[in-house]
Amino acid sequence: MFARRDNEPDYAILRNREALAENDTTNCYGTSIETVQSDNPLRDQSLNINEEGEVGDNPDRYKQHGFYFNADNCIACHACEAACSEKNDNPAHIAFRSVGFVEGGTYPAYQRLNISMACNHCDDPVCLKGCPTRAYTKFAEYGAVLQDPDICFGCGYCTWVCPYNAPQLDPEKGQVTKCNMCVDRLEVGLKPACTSACLGNALDFGVIEDIPENRSQAKVDIPGFPRTDITHPNIRFQQTRTTQREMTRVDQTAIKYHRSDEPLDSCNSKTYEESSFVPELDPKQGFKREWNLKKLLTSHENAHIAFTISAQLVMGAFIWLFLGSFFGDTLSLNYLSSSSAYLPGLVLLLGLITTGLYKLNMHLGKPQRFYRGFYNLRHSPVSREIAGVSLFFAGLVLFTLSAFFENSFFSAIQFIAGLIALVGLIFGGYFMYKLYRIEARPFWNHINTATSFIATGLVLGSLFVAVLNSVMGVMPSILNNLLLIAVSTGLVLEIAGLWAHRQSLKSAKSEGAASFYEQTTTYGYAYILRNALLILSLIMSISLLLTEHQSLSAYLVLSGLCLVSAIIGRALFYVVVIPTTMPGGFFWRNKGFVEHARETGLADMPQMGVVYEKHHAFKLDELIETIKTTSMNEKIDQFKRIFSG
Amino acid sequence: MLFGRSKKNPIKIADKKVIEWKYATCGYCSTGCSIEVGFDEQGKAVSSRGVADADVNRGKLCLKGIFEHELFTSSGRGLAPLQRDNWHQSWEKISWDTALDRVHDGIKTVQDKYGRDSFAVISTGQMLTEEFYTLGKLTRGLIGTNNYDGNTTLCMASAVSGYKRSFGSDGPPGCYEDFEYTDCLIAWGSNLPEQHPIIYWRFKEAQEKRKFPLIVVDPRVTMLAQNADIHLPITPGTDVVLQNALMHVIFKENLQDNDYIKANTNGLDELMAEVEKYDPITASKICGIDEDTIRSVARLYAGAGAAMSIWTMGINQSTHGSDGVVGINNLALITGNIGKPGGTSLSITGQCNAMGTREWSSCSGLPNHRLLENEQDRKDIAEFWNIDEEFLPKKRGMFQTDIYHAIEAGHIKGLWLIATNPLSSLPNSERVRRAMQKLEFCVVQDCYEDSESNQYAHVYLPAGTWAEKEGVMTNTERRINLINAIIQPPGEAKPDLWIFNQMAKRFNSKDEGKGKVNFPDKAADIFLEMGTLSKGRLADISGMNHELLEKNRGIQWPYTEQQVAAGEAPPSGEKRLYTEPTTFRYADGKAKLIPLPFIDNNEVPDEKFPIWLNTGRLIEHWHGRTKTGKIGNNNKYSPIPFIEINPDLAFELGIKRGDYVRLVSRRSDAVVMATPTHRVPKNMVFLPFHFHDCANRLTLGLLDPHSRQPAYKQSAIRIECLDDQKAAALLSKEMRNF
Repeated sequence: MFARRDNEPDYAILRNREALAENDTTNCYGTSIETVQSDNPLRDQSLNINEEGEVGDNPDRYKQHGFYFNADNCIACHACEAACSEKNDNPAHIAFRSVGFVEGGTYPAYQRLNISMACNHCDDPVCLKGCPTRAYTKFAEYGAVLQDPDICFGCGYCTWVCPYNAPQLDPEKGQVTKCNMCVDRLEVGLKPACTSACLGNALDFGVIEDIPENRSQAKVDIPGFPRTDITHPNIRFQQTRTTQREMTRVDQTAIKYHRSDEPLDSCNSKTYEESSFVPELDPKQGFKREWNLKKLLTSHENAHIAFTISAQLVMGAFIWLFLGSFFGDTLSLNYLSSSSAYLPGLVLLLGLITTGLYKLNMHLGKPQRFYRGFYNLRHSPVSREIAGVSLFFAGLVLFTLSAFFENSFFSAIQFIAGLIALVGLIFGGYFMYKLYRIEARPFWNHINTATSFIATGLVLGSLFVAVLNSVMGVMPSILNNLLLIAVSTGLVLEIAGLWAHRQSLKSAKSEGAASFYEQTTTYGYAYILRNALLILSLIMSISLLLTEHQSLSAYLVLSGLCLVSAIIGRALFYVVVIPTTMPGGFFWRNKGFVEHARETGLADMPQMGVVYEKHHAFKLDELIETIKTTSMNEKIDQFKRIFSG
Repeated sequence: MLFGRSKKNPIKIADKKVIEWKYATCGYCSTGCSIEVGFDEQGKAVSSRGVADADVNRGKLCLKGIFEHELFTSSGRGLAPLQRDNWHQSWEKISWDTALDRVHDGIKTVQDKYGRDSFAVISTGQMLTEEFYTLGKLTRGLIGTNNYDGNTTLCMASAVSGYKRSFGSDGPPGCYEDFEYTDCLIAWGSNLPEQHPIIYWRFKEAQEKRKFPLIVVDPRVTMLAQNADIHLPITPGTDVVLQNALMHVIFKENLQDNDYIKANTNGLDELMAEVEKYDPITASKICGIDEDTIRSVARLYAGAGAAMSIWTMGINQSTHGSDGVVGINNLALITGNIGKPGGTSLSITGQCNAMGTREWSSCSGLPNHRLLENEQDRKDIAEFWNIDEEFLPKKRGMFQTDIYHAIEAGHIKGLWLIATNPLSSLPNSERVRRAMQKLEFCVVQDCYEDSESNQYAHVYLPAGTWAEKEGVMTNTERRINLINAIIQPPGEAKPDLWIFNQMAKRFNSKDEGKGKVNFPDKAADIFLEMGTLSKGRLADISGMNHELLEKNRGIQWPYTEQQVAAGEAPPSGEKRLYTEPTTFRYADGKAKLIPLPFIDNNEVPDEKFPIWLNTGRLIEHWHGRTKTGKIGNNNKYSPIPFIEINPDLAFELGIKRGDYVRLVSRRSDAVVMATPTHRVPKNMVFLPFHFHDCANRLTLGLLDPHSRQPAYKQSAIRIECLDDQKAAALLSKEMRNF
């Protein structure tokens, strides 16, 4: 239990909710404030904080709690952040709570609005749903959403889906940690450390919708705060001072917020346009076009580039080979499976996807915990992607092995393996796309993600088959034509998707507009190059088709063009995405400064609050230790809970 | 509702396993927050928290205090005494005995060769009061140099001077509790939320209970200015004009408190004659505040039941710093706003113990506000210390700023720097650097070996920091707070008190022909000695002792032995000065109203250097960053120097957010990162002063004629764009290891 002092000051003591009206039982989204009814078995359990079995006596234990932030009063003194980091023993580069600001107006009618934010312990926690390892739990106690770093394998997907930048991925430790609502303090009737430390009387905490004394509002709307329908966050704001018409972020993100003159029901906003503060592009760095190829191609997301492109290529090529194996006659594709290119092709594909999977796994903060990727099949698209791709991989392995034997038994096995792989491909492929449809990442949340993924499979998969068959000298014109039609279709699909993406981003009232701005300025030449390569590839592909030209060198050139455009395109996809996080400061929580500190070596100083991205070793000993110390029953239970929750 | 895991693992929350909390007072600013440091089983300091029942901070701490326990293990600490013959040689580790002998001999050599006053001692606002008192006794009583001053000349000299001129003595008359009673608050050049966060919180608490108007005078739109009811974005260096204009309106409209003026002040006619010249129309042309606003502020202030002023460096660090303080005092005196609840003129002090040095260091005189110029004071102290009265100079010597000019001129040859870093903190760093290179013997005594001034030292003495030492400090509201020695200094570092006492032994020996001055070892005993010396004076502390100070979480002076004898408990707060009529410290008990003619001698922007350079503080940093620059959870909010620049100016110059630029003044240059913001007007940049080799390479620092405090806040610069941003980034990085 947290050691409560005898003389805790009033401001640190939680208010009791009993005084409130009885009919006030739902929050502004219409959800019950009581997390579980009085007869629920989840009641009266210990939180087991640091394995202490006591049960707290807080009378409001089963009511959803949340932070209350009075933006009128915040002075950006950082005391909340310091108190949080002190209590949670966080190093400088990790913070569960951060103060950012937006500013507007002209001297001296200047206004700066400071916003302190941690986790909002949402009604609908997308982190919990997204986490493939089930490291997250929403507790009936206080409605706290807590994460267990000992379960986490450091994929960072929760940091992608959270609109508020609450989960913190530590590049040093390779794990996520986050705000724990100071449940240890709540259990003894004290407000969280941040709230108790506030020097502006801005931050407060209590049962949700319980407006503190001397305050009048409880809205969920403030410049920079993302729309609420994504997660139904449990935070309430007061902000009564009229803001300037335009409030700008001071960090590198090219976004400002435009005040809407009509008061809106912020609890039910569904789109950015419905918000009281509409995000707009703020072209801070001008419109100078640059290359920045090194920055583009050496990002920490390279593992994702390698994985998605290789997996999609392999899937595309597999479809050809599967169809060639079993429907060759009907589809005039029998050249595929009967040629000398068939087996080497399968082996190459297997090698490719293995490399992709290896890169992906080693990108984890704790790669030895890879097996936990399936744990959240019930909710997480990542788990489902991993399951699907693993199934595809398993099917492909079996498919390839059985291809070495030429008899009807193995042929049957191969057919079944192919079907398994196909199921894995459809399931895994769909969730590979689905997992990027993140509301908090507008740049990805577009049909273009699907068209691009499918196109990569079609184009690179077909070209793989084409090159291979050309090398082996088995390329009849019918196959040539079919492959070129697939490549052209893929390219048209890619171009159409990108065009639609561009159109939607250009006028977007969201961080998507800033992503597009980054894409066309910071990486402007790379963007143009990619587009040019796509068009060139399409022209070449159609020309080859129309002229019925057929040569290995032509295929190699076309493959080169398509591969380069796919890599640049995918790198852009990962590098320019801008999440709907809260605004940062000029140094702290500014992606621009983080990059600068890493580029210049300022990050060598630990007190800079910036650390380098790094890769983590596969700790085999930890894996063996886990296998040894986990009993068979526990293993079985663990497996059951993949389905039971 | 979706809860996730059906099987819940135990919740893991960081537990620092504190087994003991030890009491101290925060060593950063002058607010005087009571703090407890948590120690784990291994005796490691792992946590800090505010003391819940302390009247000052009531359990709160700012971000610096919250991480203060990390100070003990921060990098750059001095672990052994060092020496060398020339500053360009490398250091040699030596024993304490050798080091102390070397310092003693070094001082003697310089003094014998060039005269007693050719060796200067520069102290600080960072040490504990008993240490100040001991150093004063050593310097005035045994070493015998009159060139002895503290770095408080850089922050509080104008307040001291202004208080002395107006009231006949130093000593802020108000207290934090005044926020609870005031009907109008003017903040002059004070960014309270950033500089004194806990005092700001006390103000906020009061304002939430009872709304009263806040008026902020500041050329920059600080958070306080932004939240003010009336913000006066004044032209830098023209506060006196605004004050005169306010008084002009008050007298014109007959809003003054005639009874109070008559009973308690002298000099009304002269004052009225001077302010007559400053009608709001004339004044508005100089100070940039329109006549209408001047009138309404004057009426608001004079019409309030109780009105108070607070100020910080915006007033003090100016060529009219002392006058600005007098102006604030004038306003308070003519409206009867001194010594009453909510009516005061309260200087918000800077360093943790700037007040202690003002009271007890003997820098500007003799202990407890005694004056060298006063024969009786000299006699009393000489007798008390058992020294020859004639050994004491009859007039105060040079201020820190003048000492450096004297080093430059070759009049001062030796220097002992104690817990201060002039190479960073004095204006015009290049001039300071040249001066320091000329020193024949320089001793640096500091807890940090990497203090930049140590570059030019011949002997380095490693000192303890903050709560590695026991003693008291006085805060802004004259509250004496106790610090316990809760941990040992690292390596061979020693408490400053120990160093002074060891040094005293060497100067106190029989060979020196004296050998009779008493230097108690224990801080608690020294405090009692000081108590004896304080009897019957303004700052009477004879009723206090260390134990009582901890028990009461600090006691405001005066608290006398008579009060103890009468069974009167120490007040928890609410103690004010000059509450009774004619109790000011001039002989007749009356305060002086002093006319303030305005002379414009600032370095104002011109064609060649068209931009105002405004310097100031950031909440996350403490002074030269030797402390906070090494604590990640403080430093990360502003790890490298930057300017706030108006976006319209940035656009004209082609400067983008995050670009490095070069600032050039008539002195030198500085490379900083630009953050465009409308916090500053188009003809001004704001540059935090914390960073070494930065702001003070640019500042001129003209001296106030009364306080000799430098005008850090009014200089002119131009801005040069840098084509090679990469080189600029590396240069900026190279200039600091923390």
